[in-house]
Amino acid sequence: MAVLEVTGVSKTFGSGELAVQALKPATFAVERGELIALLGPSGSGKSTLLLSISLILEPSAGRIVMNGTTVYDDGWTGIDVRAFRRRNIGFVFQQHNLIPFLTAQENVALMMQLNGASHRDAARRARELLGYLEIAHRADSLPANLSGGEQQRVAIGRALANEPRLVLADEPTAALDTERGTRVMALLRKIARERGSAVITVTHDHRMIEGFDAVYHLDDGRLSKLEREAAGAVRG
Amino acid sequence: MDLAVKDIRRHVGKFLATIAGVAMLLAIVLVMNGIYQGNIADGVWLIDNTATDLWVVERGRGGPINESSRMPKDSYRSVAATPGVARASPLVLYTAQREIAGTSQQFTIVGYDVFGGLGGPGRIAQGRAIEAPHYEMVADRKLGLAPGDRVALATHDYTVVGLTEGAVDAAGNPLVYLSLPDAQEVQFQQDNRALEAARAANLKRLERVGYTEAQSERLLPLLSAGGDTINAVLVTLEPGADPSAVAAHVRDWLYFNVFTTGEERSLMLEGRLRRMSAVLGLFRGLLVVVSIVIIALIVYVLTIEKIRSIATLKLIGAPNSVIVRLIMEQSLALTLASFAVAYALREAIAPGFPRTLHFLASETAVTFAVMLGGGVVASLMAIWHALRTPPQLALGG
Repeated sequence: MAVLEVTGVSKTFGSGELAVQALKPATFAVERGELIALLGPSGSGKSTLLLSISLILEPSAGRIVMNGTTVYDDGWTGIDVRAFRRRNIGFVFQQHNLIPFLTAQENVALMMQLNGASHRDAARRARELLGYLEIAHRADSLPANLSGGEQQRVAIGRALANEPRLVLADEPTAALDTERGTRVMALLRKIARERGSAVITVTHDHRMIEGFDAVYHLDDGRLSKLEREAAGAVRG
Repeated sequence: MDLAVKDIRRHVGKFLATIAGVAMLLAIVLVMNGIYQGNIADGVWLIDNTATDLWVVERGRGGPINESSRMPKDSYRSVAATPGVARASPLVLYTAQREIAGTSQQFTIVGYDVFGGLGGPGRIAQGRAIEAPHYEMVADRKLGLAPGDRVALATHDYTVVGLTEGAVDAAGNPLVYLSLPDAQEVQFQQDNRALEAARAANLKRLERVGYTEAQSERLLPLLSAGGDTINAVLVTLEPGADPSAVAAHVRDWLYFNVFTTGEERSLMLEGRLRRMSAVLGLFRGLLVVVSIVIIALIVYVLTIEKIRSIATLKLIGAPNSVIVRLIMEQSLALTLASFAVAYALREAIAPGFPRTLHFLASETAVTFAVMLGGGVVASLMAIWHALRTPPQLALGG
């Protein structure tokens, strides 16, 4: 069973003569443990697609099935979108977006507690997760005292807190130098392989597409899958 | 996880500084409440603490407290003879300023019949009431005197025999009680140089209009100012006597104005105290509004500072209750802590405050409720803004 099935999802802003189709009908599927790259220039519809599969922006048409649950079928299907997102999707942001007044461990534990974990259990699991991400030694640090790479690791920890089937990473390396960016991408690959989460990464950074299972390209709202050679050409 | 507490703990210095600022503003509001009520309490203290049924004053006047009033001293005898009157006592009341206890102080002298008359100090806090016809005084503690102290007034020294607590005139100045003749003497007695100057001036005036020196010498006493006047007559009625009938009799037959204690109180509240109360009330209202606006702005700014975190919380799926709790808890903590500190400040300020502060528990409670309401309304505005924040704000650079 695919983690995410997107069928004919499109988004039009405005109506009549002013209507702009930001995303033309897009169809793709992501399997468990798969690492997907989503490329495209600014204004190509990447954010619209990301927001749609994040269940934040309601598409205009199409069908989205996540973990076997139809969440959108030409309209929301009546699920509690926010709770569904909390349980099924992990987010990694360009600017990390850690809660500044919580420590690294608390940022991760917060996600678990929002999902019903007890304070003690969440703290223990958060520390374990930070250990897995090799940043346990900074567990009690505030985000302001962490480097960009460390913050991104904590953000990845928060994304994985509830063991989601799908991780959406929005330009996760944009705020990092090449070395740190490469390490973060390696970590996302590791997560996909070892934890079985499907990871969709939106990126402008063509240097980082090495090792993706599939690369999709968005241009003027049209989604197309790039073959390995084409992806290499884009990178080159 | 209590996000509000976590945020406060991480920014404890900023939070405490905010509380201190808001608390000082709220303390001013609370003190203003005290000044407002203190102004009213001072204004009617003498009326409320003078055991009398009727105040008889000069015809056409609203005296003796709200307006000046002068009557012949013997008028109290005529009033005492009125049917229904149990007792009538003369009263002298005027403001003086003298050096007392090393500083120049303003006070009001109350002269009364110390041998069973009305208008004397009600409760003596320390020492005793005046028992001698002359040269004893009862003063309010506010003047800084102690029993046994001697105070020079006019040409005599007066011994403090008792102290009152909180006995003030309408302006909040302390009261000094003297026997009636002493009070009149202090009011009218001039020093020898002033008397000589007045006498010389009067002689000149008489000679200018053609009187001989011998005639002028005989006429001089008639020209000098008489000191045998009083300001009011206090009246207690016989049991069952009708106050309005007695008042009507005094008005019609003795040509004086008569006020019941209630009417005397109204004269003060609607006369001398009205404008001051209106001014204080206006300032109080403005301060409350300013305080609420400031609290609202602080709560709003606290929320706006966290708007990206709030967007992130929404994006990662935090329910609205988490966001509402974060904002509401901080707002309530700010309001409650500020009010508590303001209350403590008020208690610390009150004893040394130069004017009478009179606090009403109900008014303090209303102020608290208004501030709390303001904080809650500000929180609701902030919550409304937070809940409208799109989660996609957390995305992108």
